[in-house]
Amino acid sequence: MTSISILRAGPLTTLQDAGRFGMLKHGISSSGPMDCGAFAAAGALLASLGSTGIEFTRAGLGFRAEDALRVATGGGHFQLAVNGEARAWGSELQLRAGDVVDITPGAAGNYGYLRFEREIDVPLLLGSRSTNVAVGLGGFKGRALRAGDQLALAEAGSAAAALRPTAPSDGPIRVLWGLHADLFDATARQAFVNSRFPISPSLDRMGVRLVDAARIFLGQRRLTLVSDAIVPGDIQILGDGTPIVLMRDHQPIGGYPRIATIVSADLDRFAQLRPGAEVHFRPVTLEHAQ
Amino acid sequence: MSHRHLKPTLLPLGDQALLIRYGDSLSDSANLAAVAMARRLEARPLAGVSEVAPGLVSVLLTLSPGTDFSRLRGELMMMADHDEEAPTSTEWPVPIVFDGEDLGNVAAQLHLSEQEFIARHNGVPLRVLATGFAPGFVYCGFHDDDLVVPRRDAVRPLVSAGTVLFAAGQTAIAATPIRTGWHVIGRTTFHNFDTAVDPPTRLRAGDRVLFSAAS
Repeated sequence: MTSISILRAGPLTTLQDAGRFGMLKHGISSSGPMDCGAFAAAGALLASLGSTGIEFTRAGLGFRAEDALRVATGGGHFQLAVNGEARAWGSELQLRAGDVVDITPGAAGNYGYLRFEREIDVPLLLGSRSTNVAVGLGGFKGRALRAGDQLALAEAGSAAAALRPTAPSDGPIRVLWGLHADLFDATARQAFVNSRFPISPSLDRMGVRLVDAARIFLGQRRLTLVSDAIVPGDIQILGDGTPIVLMRDHQPIGGYPRIATIVSADLDRFAQLRPGAEVHFRPVTLEHAQ
Repeated sequence: MSHRHLKPTLLPLGDQALLIRYGDSLSDSANLAAVAMARRLEARPLAGVSEVAPGLVSVLLTLSPGTDFSRLRGELMMMADHDEEAPTSTEWPVPIVFDGEDLGNVAAQLHLSEQEFIARHNGVPLRVLATGFAPGFVYCGFHDDDLVVPRRDAVRPLVSAGTVLFAAGQTAIAATPIRTGWHVIGRTTFHNFDTAVDPPTRLRAGDRVLFSAAS
């Protein structure tokens, strides 16, 4: 069977497919790619596509193709070399048996993707091959990939879905006011819109902590709330005033107040913002977000 | 049996989900209304709704991209207008070994001996209020008003699957290792999460659980 050997992997290198849907009522969030658009765009480079790819973080990924194999890369901007020779990022590659691929940190982004022409041979778990790292479930033995792992590639994939064209955007991150927006006073809401929040170094598939440099939320009175449903992109304010944006491996329900939710069209872009980048949120209407 | 009619609030959660909310604090009536609505929506799926998940006081609907919120609002308000039948429920015996590290402290807070607390805890069946927070994790309620203790101040590092937790007038059961600020009162062999089975959880919101002391 065709396979690849992982030579180098960052701490959060996971298998992801489109996501594990329909399991919220059992307490399992959907997981799936942090940058769904980039995941799909990399897949669209291949004529035949397996549903599952590798998501890697800024450290990149090193692997050896043990057999001839066609792959595609995308997401953020990384450096790519095959047997030491530079190749274009975000392209399709025909690999020969023994080729060593080295993906190293590049100019932009937190998440990159490697897609395959074949299906990765890990079992479907509750309808998906995505890894939920918060729970340790699915993907490759429920965990992140590490050096020494061997991934088998089984049956041929199918034709990639046509990409929905998306307009690139670098403006403010659009949000809808959240479930608990009216629990924040007008001053806090206005400050939320007017401020710029640096991305903190504390980010993973569960959430991205922001820096509340202006301490907008520091003095907010602590509220006891009934736990309610969380969706990806929810911006919740912890008891100490820290804003945290909940991402693909979020808890299904939570009890911290949520001031706003990032619109789905901007969540991929938000996920790729590196620590230190400043986020400016702009409230929009539901009609606009759709 | 029907119960007092509660009118829900429909709130968008981002642009691809809608929350049908029966209250902003936890109450028996809000929970019952949410569970009943979730069951109706599961029995009669609506166009554009890809997932239905009942919570403590609300039902989450995840929506296909481009779903017309105003159309859906209309359909949901019509469904919500119907009298609510009490959902049919399965009764599950859940044996508990009461040896948790917070058991003595909980009993003392309630001015009960450990044996008295266990008898009171197991005295009446509870209802599964919701699954959430973690895979197979269930909230069960409600205990009597004089059996209520607040959560702990500190969060405990991981407790194991099967840990039985107590706080806020409820008993919760962890089905995977979790961090928790609830009191650890015991453990059960009842497993509510198995990825090899579909569906992966057994307890359903609205089901009844009957606790007993095991050794």
